[in-house]
Amino acid sequence: MRAHPSLTRRLLASTVPAALLLSLGATPARTDPLIGDVMNSYGLAGAVETPTAEMLPDGTLGGTVSYTELGRRHDLVFQLHPRITTALRYSRVPGINDHNDLGHIWDRSFDIRVQALEERGWQPAVSIGLQDFMGTGVYSGEYIVATKTLTPRLRATIGLGWGRLAGEQRDLDADDEGGKPNVGDWFTGSAKPFGSVTWQATDKLRLVAEYSNDKYTRETASGEKDAPGKHINLGAYYVFNPQYQVGVYALGGDIIGAQFSFALNPRNAPFPSGLEKAPAPVRPRPAPAADPDGWSGAWSADPSAQPAIQTVLAKALADEGQKLSAMSLSTNRAEVRIQNDRYIQQPEAIGRTARLMTRALPPSVDTFVITSMRDGMATSSVTLRRADVERLENTEAGKIAAVAQISDADPRPGNLLASADPSPRFKWRLGPYLELGVFDPQDPLRYEVGAELKASYEFGPGLVLSGRVRQRAFGSLEQRGPGIPGERGEHYTPEEYLANPANEYMDGVPRVRSDTRMYTGNHSPTVPELTLAWYAQPASSVYSRVTVGLLERAYGGVSGELLWKPADSALGLGVEIDRVRKRDFEDAFKFRDYEVTTGFVSVYYELAQGYTAQLDVGKYLAGDKGATISLTREFANGWRVGAYATKTDLSAEKFGEGSFDKGITVSIPIGWATGTPTRDRATADLGSLSRDGGAKVDVQGRLYDKVRDAQSVKLNQGWGRFWR
Amino acid sequence: MIGTTSRAALAVALIAGLSACGNDDSGREANPLLIAAKSAAQTATRIRGAGKPQQTAAPRTPEQMATEALRVNPGPLILVGFESLGRNQVMAMTGQNGSTRTYMTPSEEALILRNGMVIGTRGLGNDLSVAESGTEALIHAGRSGQARRVMRYFSGDGLERPLEFDCSTAPGPKPGVVVESCSGHGAKFQNNYLPQGGQIPVSRQWLGPKLGYVTLQVLRP
Repeated sequence: MRAHPSLTRRLLASTVPAALLLSLGATPARTDPLIGDVMNSYGLAGAVETPTAEMLPDGTLGGTVSYTELGRRHDLVFQLHPRITTALRYSRVPGINDHNDLGHIWDRSFDIRVQALEERGWQPAVSIGLQDFMGTGVYSGEYIVATKTLTPRLRATIGLGWGRLAGEQRDLDADDEGGKPNVGDWFTGSAKPFGSVTWQATDKLRLVAEYSNDKYTRETASGEKDAPGKHINLGAYYVFNPQYQVGVYALGGDIIGAQFSFALNPRNAPFPSGLEKAPAPVRPRPAPAADPDGWSGAWSADPSAQPAIQTVLAKALADEGQKLSAMSLSTNRAEVRIQNDRYIQQPEAIGRTARLMTRALPPSVDTFVITSMRDGMATSSVTLRRADVERLENTEAGKIAAVAQISDADPRPGNLLASADPSPRFKWRLGPYLELGVFDPQDPLRYEVGAELKASYEFGPGLVLSGRVRQRAFGSLEQRGPGIPGERGEHYTPEEYLANPANEYMDGVPRVRSDTRMYTGNHSPTVPELTLAWYAQPASSVYSRVTVGLLERAYGGVSGELLWKPADSALGLGVEIDRVRKRDFEDAFKFRDYEVTTGFVSVYYELAQGYTAQLDVGKYLAGDKGATISLTREFANGWRVGAYATKTDLSAEKFGEGSFDKGITVSIPIGWATGTPTRDRATADLGSLSRDGGAKVDVQGRLYDKVRDAQSVKLNQGWGRFWR
Repeated sequence: MIGTTSRAALAVALIAGLSACGNDDSGREANPLLIAAKSAAQTATRIRGAGKPQQTAAPRTPEQMATEALRVNPGPLILVGFESLGRNQVMAMTGQNGSTRTYMTPSEEALILRNGMVIGTRGLGNDLSVAESGTEALIHAGRSGQARRVMRYFSGDGLERPLEFDCSTAPGPKPGVVVESCSGHGAKFQNNYLPQGGQIPVSRQWLGPKLGYVTLQVLRP
């Protein structure tokens, strides 16, 4: 079967914001940025080594591994916005010797490229880019570049480059802590031109020729390797399906390189509508003459009516992965309180519940209130008229969105009848785990594989005891002390580290995270987490959490949180206070001496088009005070990509490598990749070195994401799933 | 060295053997690398064309399926051939809302029809969310004319997106058949209907870019 490519593209391409979905308007005319389909060795759209003005499809998350004798680059790219590409790179650069004395360095670098002008008529697309713009700066360079489509199969690029792109190697920043933008270097030195031509030879094969000024000064400085003889680089790239690309290339005709790229586009799911079973259809009410008792409300005088209805509805909901926790029923109004354990988008759960209500409730009930529950907290109520549900089935989702009312849920309405919970209170799961350690220059990829037992017991709504036990089977993650001060590249052995309590401080800063590898490599069972958590709702739109126990691998204690987040507000405010003590490196139930109170005031804001921002101000684990800012982009399908940075009053020198804490988070719903409905996610946090400044307790179950899932911004974003 | 390897192999086998058991199927955590691999594997499967049904049950002809369904199920039934999936199925009506009827397979995939015209699918992975067809009256009347057709799909990024087509209807080459020809977004498709007294006993209709065509036959109205 061959799908219609143009139609598929139409379904993938344009970015219709949620607001348009709801306002029933047509897509506005807009030009799209110029999209590239060859990845260069730096992992961005480009030629062989040089950049082009091209972008990737919005939201693309991709990776490239490229290899030549002059370096190995592992690139992660994210199209943050239709016109902004960002990249994170971890490269092995030969010819440079640092404290590790390996003859090469492992270096992280960041790129950003902005398409300032789109291609239009005679005007080429024009982009400005910063390459390796903070930190060590091995690849540091800047460029302005223009790309023009000459024929549908041929594109030409010319640009002006500074720094590395002009063949000038800037002084390395390897000796200080790095991690800060090198603003003073940007666009300095002489500028030189570069250019490339990309020819789409067949549907799958692209041939590229480029002129590059890179002299590979650092890589060849030791004399062991030679720079390419010429400035011309040639490459061939084969796309073996839209997601994967392999390439071979020659630098100056004498250095051969190879690369592999993949790109995941959140818009391009294997099963966009999911493989969940079809919902039960709406059952319209019979004519009043056919059911006079039902329509008159006479049924409500029978005390057995509600329990009978509730039992039937709870069972039907359970079949669809939802828990009916309570229900109130009067002659013309029914409220159900549901916890959705299956669908990544709450509107799908709400839509299915509404349809089941049409099948279970007597005809006189004309108002449906569906309250979303999460761990005993009522996070929002959606009110629907039954007539609208009957009338709007099989219409576009925007119509039911327009008549649904979203409001704060009453935390404790008087007339609720709790449901007997059919699901087991004790839950457990035994399965394998894989833990990865990256970014260690001496051992770039470490791993551990073993078995994990996870169990939880629910005492009642919102009161949950949960824990995990792990047993390592094999791996290369071993216990190791932190780096020895003054001897870069050398680490304490576990015995040396434990021998002197003074080792647990460096320059007066307690080691709260830099000794995190002391917690790894344990061959006996470990308990990464064992907590009792209590979630509650002290008032309308105010939520609380108290967690006691072994909060994470390195800390145990008490964590308390309070969040104000009305259902229809983009703004949320939170407070968190944790009193924690450092856990023993090996014994699951012993503690070390370090004890600290950390606390934060947080402001959350949901910006337009799925972007959310969060600012935390407070005191961190090492007693340092400062702030964390994070920006996350979330798609309606549940993909999340975010970045965060923390700066505290700990000086860059005391903080160490990286100068301040920063990183990238990626979270992909498993259902997106498999089509099966589940709320599970694959999550990764990249880029945080284990440093002591700006560290937080990693407590599970923070309130914001739990609460926000069923509130207006996310409901509107996911409303297309109401009739799924 | 050999000892280490075999111990590791044994451990792998043990861990693979316990690949998840328990009564809690939620809260799984996975590595994004696994997701990328999973997605890749699925794409590869699709490319190889391995998405076809691999049922081991004895193959039955559509006639046999229809006969048995008519015997077992007293309600309205249709026989549906999914051309792109290469399978035929009997679907039974599970709900009616006005002139809209929902038909389902035993495995709860659904086809939603209004007066015989497909207006939605569920549970097929690349579902048609809803179709708004301006040609409905023309087709039932067997008349020539032109109208707009909007077909909405749930796209991978989690939004419902419309595809709009310009359609014209005309009597087909065979007597009684009405042909609806639509084009838009550089694509074309053609639906064939055999309308009879407000119903459409036999038709071939296009569901969307991924699902392609289905043939429909009403077994019991």
